[in-house]
Amino acid sequence: MSTSTALRPAVRSILRSSRSNQLPPAFLLPSLFAPKQQCSPFSTSTLNSYPRDNNRERGVSTQRRTGLRQPVSVSKTPLPQPVLDESKRSKVEVDPDHGLYQFFHSKEKPMNTPDEDSDHGRPWCVEELRHKSWEDLHALWWVSAKERNRIATETYERKRIEAGYGDYESEKRDVTVRRTQRAIKQVLTERYYSWRDAENVAKSDPEINLSGKGPIYTPTDFIEDEITQHEAEPSAEPAPKSEAKPEQISTPSA
Amino acid sequence: MSTRVASQVGPKLGRKQIFLPNFTLTLLRTPTQPATFASFIVPLNLNKLDLRDYLWNAYGISVRGVRSYIQQQKVRQDKPGAKRPKPRKWYRPRAIKKMMVEMEKPFVWPAVPESFEDWDKSTFDAAAEGRKEEESVYRWDARMQANKERGSIAEQAKALQSGEDSWKQTPVRDEWEDVGEAVEVEQDVQVPPVQR
Repeated sequence: MSTSTALRPAVRSILRSSRSNQLPPAFLLPSLFAPKQQCSPFSTSTLNSYPRDNNRERGVSTQRRTGLRQPVSVSKTPLPQPVLDESKRSKVEVDPDHGLYQFFHSKEKPMNTPDEDSDHGRPWCVEELRHKSWEDLHALWWVSAKERNRIATETYERKRIEAGYGDYESEKRDVTVRRTQRAIKQVLTERYYSWRDAENVAKSDPEINLSGKGPIYTPTDFIEDEITQHEAEPSAEPAPKSEAKPEQISTPSA
Repeated sequence: MSTRVASQVGPKLGRKQIFLPNFTLTLLRTPTQPATFASFIVPLNLNKLDLRDYLWNAYGISVRGVRSYIQQQKVRQDKPGAKRPKPRKWYRPRAIKKMMVEMEKPFVWPAVPESFEDWDKSTFDAAAEGRKEEESVYRWDARMQANKERGSIAEQAKALQSGEDSWKQTPVRDEWEDVGEAVEVEQDVQVPPVQR
C-alpha cells in the first residue's frame, strides 16, 4: 500500500537491473522521479503484483496463528492477561447472609473437624416427640434435613481434598439425625392411626354428629355446675396458666 | 398488578406442597465456575423446578436458571463392597445427577484450611500407604515386581565379590541345647490314677 502501483514496476526493474549491473539509460531517469499519476489509496483496478487471486484472506490462518495482515481498530488495546495466581485475583463480595452458607457448619472452613463432628448428643426419642405439636415436628424435620445436607456437603469436600480422618464421626452424626427423623415419622404414624380409630368410634357415638350440619359434639349428660357462694369468692392464689409454654424447638443433635 | 409484583420477589414457584422431604443435596466446590453459579449432587428423581423451589423455600436463594445433567458411571466387576470381585459379574453403579444453578447473589466457598492437623492427615496418609503396600503382595503380578530387598542383596553380593566381606554361614540350630538337668515343672499337680 505504501508504494503506488505505477512506481512498483519501475522499482522492480531497477532492482533487477542492479542485480545484473545494468543501469537504466539516462533518459529514463526523469520518469523515475515523475509525480505519481494516481494518489488515491482506493483503486478499483486489479493489482497485477498481488499474488494469485483477489482473496484478501490469503495467508491469514488461525491454525498457523499468522495474525491479520493489517492492524485493526482494537490492535492498540492490549489483550487482558489471565491472572493465574489465585491470591492476586479480585475478591468477590459475598453477602454474609447468603443462603448457601447454610450448607456449612461455619463460615471459616469448609468442613468440621472430627472433634466438632462428634460433639453432639443423642437423637430425639419417640416418647419425647409424642408431646410435640405438628408445627414443632415439622420444624425439627427441616432442621434435620438441612443438617443432613451440611453433613453430605462436608463429607464430599473432605474426601475431595483428602483432609484425613472424619468419615466415622460424620457418619455417626448422620445416623443420629436420621434416627430423629425416624422418630418423627413414627410419631406421625401413631397419630394418624389413633385419629382413624377415633373416627371409627365417633361413627357409633350418639353424641357426635359427623354429617357436617350443626355442632359436631353435643354432650347428653352435661349438667351445669351451680355456682356456690364458696367458689364464687375470688381466690387468693393466682389462676394456673391454661396454656402451656410453647416448647423451644431445638434438636439435641445440632 | 399486585400478583405480578409478588411474583417478582422470588422465582416463579410451584404450588405442590412437600412437607417432609427425605433427600440430601450436596453442594460442590466449583472454582472454575463464576461465583454466581453453584452445583449440587441431587437425587435422580429431582427435577429443575423442584430444585428451584427447594432452594427458595428452604434456603432463600433466588435462582435464575437451572441446568442439569446425569453422569453415567463406569461398568465395574462386581459390587464395590465385594471382598473378592468375581470375574464377569458386571455391575454398574447408579448414575449421578448434578445440577448447576445460576443465582442472583454470588457465593464463594470458605477457604481450604492451611493445615489438616485436626484431621490427623499425617497418620491418615501413612495408614493409606501401609495398606497399599500390604495389598500389593496380593496382586497378580507381585512376583514379577522387584522386591524391596533387591538393592540390599545386590550391595551384599558386591561386598562379597570385592572381598570386603566374607561369607558367614548362618548357624544351624537343629540340636537340643544343653541347659542342665531336667526339672519337673508341675510338681504340685496330683494326677489321678487311670481306672481300668
